Amino acid sequence: MSEAKSVVREGALEGVRVIDFSWIVAGPQCTRILADFGADVIKIENDANMDYIRASGGADSPNRSPLFNTLNRNKRSLTLNVMHPRGMELLKTLIEKSDVIVENFSSRVLEKWGLGYEEQKKLNPGIIYCSMSGFGHSGRDRDFVTWGPTAQALSGLTYMSGLPGEESAGWGFSYMDHTGGFYGAIAIMMALLHRNKTGEGQHLDLSQVEAGIGLTGTSILDYTVNNRPFRRNGMPPGNRAPDRQIAPHNTYPCKGEDRWCVIAVTNDSEWDSLVAVLGNPGWASDRQFATMKSRSANQNNLDELISQWTINLTPHEVFDILQEAGVPAGAVQTPMERAEVDPQLKHRGFIAEVEHAELGNTKVESIPMTMSETPWKLNKASPLLGEHSAEIYMDLLGVSPEELGTLYEEGIA
Amino acid sequence: MSIPSPQTPSSKTEGALEGITVIELCGARGHFMGKLMGDMGARVIKIEPMGGSAERQIGPFMDDEPHPDRSLYFWSHNTSKESLEINIEDSAGQKVIKALASTADVVLEDFAPGYLPSLGLGYRDLSDRNPRLVMTSLTAFGQDGPYRNYKSPDIVALAMGGIMHSCGYDDVPGSPPIRPSGDHGNKIASHYGLIGTLAALFNRDFSGRGQYIDASAHEACNSTTEHALPSYLYLGATVFRQTGRHHSATPTPKSLCKTSDGKYLIVFQLFNNLHSWLSLVGWMAEAGMAEDLQEERYKDMARGGSRGMRMATDTTDSDHAFEVVRRFIAAHTSEEIYRGAQKLKFPWGQVRSPEENLDDPHFAEDRQMFTDMPHPEIGKTVSFKYVGRPYRFTKSPWNAFRPPLVGEHTKSILSNDLGYSSGDLEALISKNTISSH
Repeated sequence: MSEAKSVVREGALEGVRVIDFSWIVAGPQCTRILADFGADVIKIENDANMDYIRASGGADSPNRSPLFNTLNRNKRSLTLNVMHPRGMELLKTLIEKSDVIVENFSSRVLEKWGLGYEEQKKLNPGIIYCSMSGFGHSGRDRDFVTWGPTAQALSGLTYMSGLPGEESAGWGFSYMDHTGGFYGAIAIMMALLHRNKTGEGQHLDLSQVEAGIGLTGTSILDYTVNNRPFRRNGMPPGNRAPDRQIAPHNTYPCKGEDRWCVIAVTNDSEWDSLVAVLGNPGWASDRQFATMKSRSANQNNLDELISQWTINLTPHEVFDILQEAGVPAGAVQTPMERAEVDPQLKHRGFIAEVEHAELGNTKVESIPMTMSETPWKLNKASPLLGEHSAEIYMDLLGVSPEELGTLYEEGIA
Repeated sequence: MSIPSPQTPSSKTEGALEGITVIELCGARGHFMGKLMGDMGARVIKIEPMGGSAERQIGPFMDDEPHPDRSLYFWSHNTSKESLEINIEDSAGQKVIKALASTADVVLEDFAPGYLPSLGLGYRDLSDRNPRLVMTSLTAFGQDGPYRNYKSPDIVALAMGGIMHSCGYDDVPGSPPIRPSGDHGNKIASHYGLIGTLAALFNRDFSGRGQYIDASAHEACNSTTEHALPSYLYLGATVFRQTGRHHSATPTPKSLCKTSDGKYLIVFQLFNNLHSWLSLVGWMAEAGMAEDLQEERYKDMARGGSRGMRMATDTTDSDHAFEVVRRFIAAHTSEEIYRGAQKLKFPWGQVRSPEENLDDPHFAEDRQMFTDMPHPEIGKTVSFKYVGRPYRFTKSPWNAFRPPLVGEHTKSILSNDLGYSSGDLEALISKNTISSH
């Protein structure tokens, strides 16, 4: 065991420089994590090819998108045209001075630029290159095109979400963009640990569909071991838990328009507490509800009876009453409740505030954890397009003030 | 049936986490963190209560025979671990955990706040002897705050985290928000727990010190809902759920399309640009099913691209175009439309059931996405196909081995790692601190 040194670090990933060619959601989610931990993330775009998400704030400015601000805080923005020879030269200098390259283009873009991993390695043997594509960088379908919803559909995640007998409800957002981003950050940090130990960089070839397949729970093993496909009558299981054979386990209607709570009773003592909260109604001692197994078998009846109780309460009343009694329950929270009411999120400082030059005071969600030695910091809002070009060109890449003017004039910067 | 010697990696892995030792005290919320670390070469010692973890009681089971060593739920989330079955509420058991933690790199735990400290196994107790230790506590709601003692199984995490508010139907009257199956509240929590753990390990390489990470499923889920919070925080708009597609504050076209074989595809971005529109209509015309879509006004719409479409107030033409495309899709199989559309660069995808990827040669053959893992305890030559690596490392690869039997490594860990004699083991067995198998 080595002696503990007293080194103050600004963030867990302080000293790591990331070249960020990523856009939309998946790549920016990955580099947001790295930036929140103190890595110097340099987001490269140019006027003609900017992150699409910038456009979602309205046509008059590339700097007013709410989602862009949420995904790109703590990063620096560099405008650079890689199609220009001088632009490419400057990019190569930046690669020499960086640790990680992240991109989520389709699978041949960097190769077409002449910047595949083998070329990167010549410039910087320790470079960690993380490509985040839909199908990966090898295999017969590597050129297929995906967005988050495509990856969710192909992996099985969309099919697994829904009521039996209905079409798929799927995911109401790009879950695999978030999770693809998590896997990018996880892989990069693992590769950094490997590099600390060996000095060796590498190419990390991520596929969003493959990451999705890895999240399909027991479905693959149930098929390969028991020969039981997930696609069968009665599946997906809605909000019930057939593999656990526990009940009640469902959503229940509450007071108000389209308001819902969830209740999940996982053992007999929680059942006894629930029955006590309900005021020991006569039906609760009926034989059909005597054991976990029989409650599971008769959950249509059980759910109906519990709904008669929940319908007169708000979701948060159900949540408070049952949790205080030790019964797992929750409110299906709305965005307003999460942003403005939830006392736990407030206590934890989940919504953080930061000043943005065009949007004013903005609110973003925090990285969801506290760290005792290297807590995350919200140093800056998302960067305006090209906000940090001058400092990066001059301080990092050694461009003179005169040449900087030329770079702007010739559309290189 | 004789029990073979404890399972370890078949070939020596040089995974990225080689050399890292992890003590895992986790149930359903956190076990995926340990798996992801073990699969990349970390040595993960899973501490299980006497009789085995509660997750071993969750189905489905191999051949539908419930047994702690046959739970496919446990198998899916616990590859590449060793199992130490021990009573940590007993002082001799606590002594074992302290000894292991004194040389470990990481402790992962997902108990209720305060439980481990009450046993003398909190971060302060363990880091006192090992300042390099990284300890990650992954709770329902966090170590402090008004909800800290509340319970949060997966469905509660997804409800309170805002995820269910975005998932469900807009065309099934009275239908509830939907919890997507697959334990995703727990997985989102595990992903963030792992992210913090790895960042702390990297930091330790420079600071020489570990640290304590306090992560929660509640915050992790709340930060994983894409447009839902920004739309509200910046625009005051509340997104609502829509069948099989993104949440939105204003209705968007249905993207699920049924094919002739009764399956579905997700179909979107019809009007990306003129080139892609013409290629789509050309494909439909070859089948004699383009109807009136070759008319000029649709080309104008395609020139406007997807942004022009979103801003259009009159959607009569685009709705009609979608209906014609829908008829074309309904006359073909899911495979025909998927492959044909991808050839034209449309990001349409089949709505597959997970097991259908075992028949997709790109993933199953070219990418070797599924891995056979030997299960010698079932039979000498028995192996089962598991989902493989979620990322391809070219230098320090993923390499998993099958999940441990209950207590499979108890004796080997106590004697090899901690130097317990056979007499010491007998004493622990007689006090019921460890089991006899």
